[in-house]
Amino acid sequence: MRTRWILGAPLLAFLVLLVAAPITYGVWTSLTRRTLSGTDAPFAGLANYGAVLGDSTFWHSLGFTAAFTAAVVVLEVPLGFGLALLVNQRLPGHRVLFTALLLPIMVAPSLLGVMFRLLLNGDIGALPALLAKFGVSVSLFDPSSVVPLLVVLDVLQWTPFTFLILYAGLQGVPADLYEAAAVDGASYVRTLRSVVAPVMGPVLASAAFLRAIDAFRTFDVVYVLTGGGPGTSTTTASIYIYKTAFTDGDFGIASAASVVLLLLLIGLVPVVVRRIVGKPGEGRR
Amino acid sequence: MSTSFTSGRRLRRLVMTAVVALIAVVINLPLLNALNVSFKTDGEIATSPLAPAGHPTLEHFANALGAAGYDFPAFFANSTMIACGTVVLVLLVAVPSSYAVVRLGWGGRWVLSGVAALRLLPAIFFAVPFYLLFSFVGLLDTVAGLMLVNTFLNLPLAMVLLAAGLRDLPVQVEEAAAVDGASDYRILTSIVTPMLAPSLVAVSVLTFLFTWADYLFAVVVSTTRATPVTVGAANFVTSYGIRWGDVSAATLLSALVPIVFAVAAQRYLVSGLSMGAVKG
Repeated sequence: MRTRWILGAPLLAFLVLLVAAPITYGVWTSLTRRTLSGTDAPFAGLANYGAVLGDSTFWHSLGFTAAFTAAVVVLEVPLGFGLALLVNQRLPGHRVLFTALLLPIMVAPSLLGVMFRLLLNGDIGALPALLAKFGVSVSLFDPSSVVPLLVVLDVLQWTPFTFLILYAGLQGVPADLYEAAAVDGASYVRTLRSVVAPVMGPVLASAAFLRAIDAFRTFDVVYVLTGGGPGTSTTTASIYIYKTAFTDGDFGIASAASVVLLLLLIGLVPVVVRRIVGKPGEGRR
Repeated sequence: MSTSFTSGRRLRRLVMTAVVALIAVVINLPLLNALNVSFKTDGEIATSPLAPAGHPTLEHFANALGAAGYDFPAFFANSTMIACGTVVLVLLVAVPSSYAVVRLGWGGRWVLSGVAALRLLPAIFFAVPFYLLFSFVGLLDTVAGLMLVNTFLNLPLAMVLLAAGLRDLPVQVEEAAAVDGASDYRILTSIVTPMLAPSLVAVSVLTFLFTWADYLFAVVVSTTRATPVTVGAANFVTSYGIRWGDVSAATLLSALVPIVFAVAAQRYLVSGLSMGAVKG
């Protein structure tokens, strides 16, 4: 059975060089005082971990990331489901609408961030100009409004993703179940509850889970729009680590924060693997 | 009574269509706004933010494409090379190994689970190690370096999709070929790969899309020579923020390439993105 090792060799090499080596090196760096500009990296023991765990900005970034993740998942899953149920009615213009609804996920988040800046700019943006017409003047990037703003922008870009997953899931509800429900004279709500819900339960859970994973690592849009500010109010965990490493130049502390983040998330791995990979296939031999 | 019933039904469908259309417009407002601004003259941009382009101009597109001396054409070339190279690398690594896993029982379920689990690790963890390791081997600020990073980022989904696609292929065809004396390599290249085409397209489209969209590692790994459009456009705002027309044209062009790609292959985009979530 040498063949399978030869066929798997590229993957194995990749996993060693681009996964195992960086993880090992990241953990090692977290134990040193390595900096962006310095060449030597004296051993620091657990000092970096002490610094990270004692840094209120780190805890704030974790709290903000968790709250942001919870908010967008809570909004995007029901909104995407509602949209999927609507589009599933085979409306006229169904195909065009479907493509239009998917467009936002085809745009790079950082580019969308630039477009949001254009739309929301205080001087030349269309939205502030529109609000001004109605006599409303808000500074969207004020500390009080910036967090809800970011949540709304995330909902605008990623509800299409939950919509897509849930719409695909709805196609898995057998048509004769709908017919049977109709024959029984079941109302729409009743049909949803007893025909659609049992099939869609796991799909809803998957959609929520996938969004949660991605929302938790949010970087692009927030970094392009606010850079983590004002102050540190919109600093996500990713932005905290990025800035610690590449703005402050402190690789040791950034790596320690990365390891802490990794340990916090690693407990979820088995749950998700079971969900994504599913059952093992039947081999040929 | 039946006519009023059907007309009520039609009215309801019409209202629902209008609602969905409105939602489609709202979520695409940033895109539509950028489209509008990119055709406006500088004067119009400054004075009338709400008005549609009164005297449509292609000046901003010409500027973005090189007339004003920005580096945008170079960013474009970098993004294209990085995205295409990553697609090839992902397929070269993922196709043989997923075949080895699914059909030859390589690594039991550990390989697939392990690779899928990578999707869950916080990507930011790898920023510092990649920066340091790449600086040791001279891959910093190179297109090749970004290809490697993006291959790493896209392997998990590629493996999951290809494994699922392989499981759906009838194993009898391969068994018959094996009986006829075909080697595993020959079965993989001449029989399995052609039958796997839909999954290969899905993996290619998604990998292209995600690689084109990468911003985090582009910021970390590239400085000048390997800068892709995502970083180029974001920096553009900081350095030329006042030239909003050029900014929107450049951003729009950058967003357009993957959009064209993804709309053309929408079926595969949909099947690819939903498969991981719906199956299992």
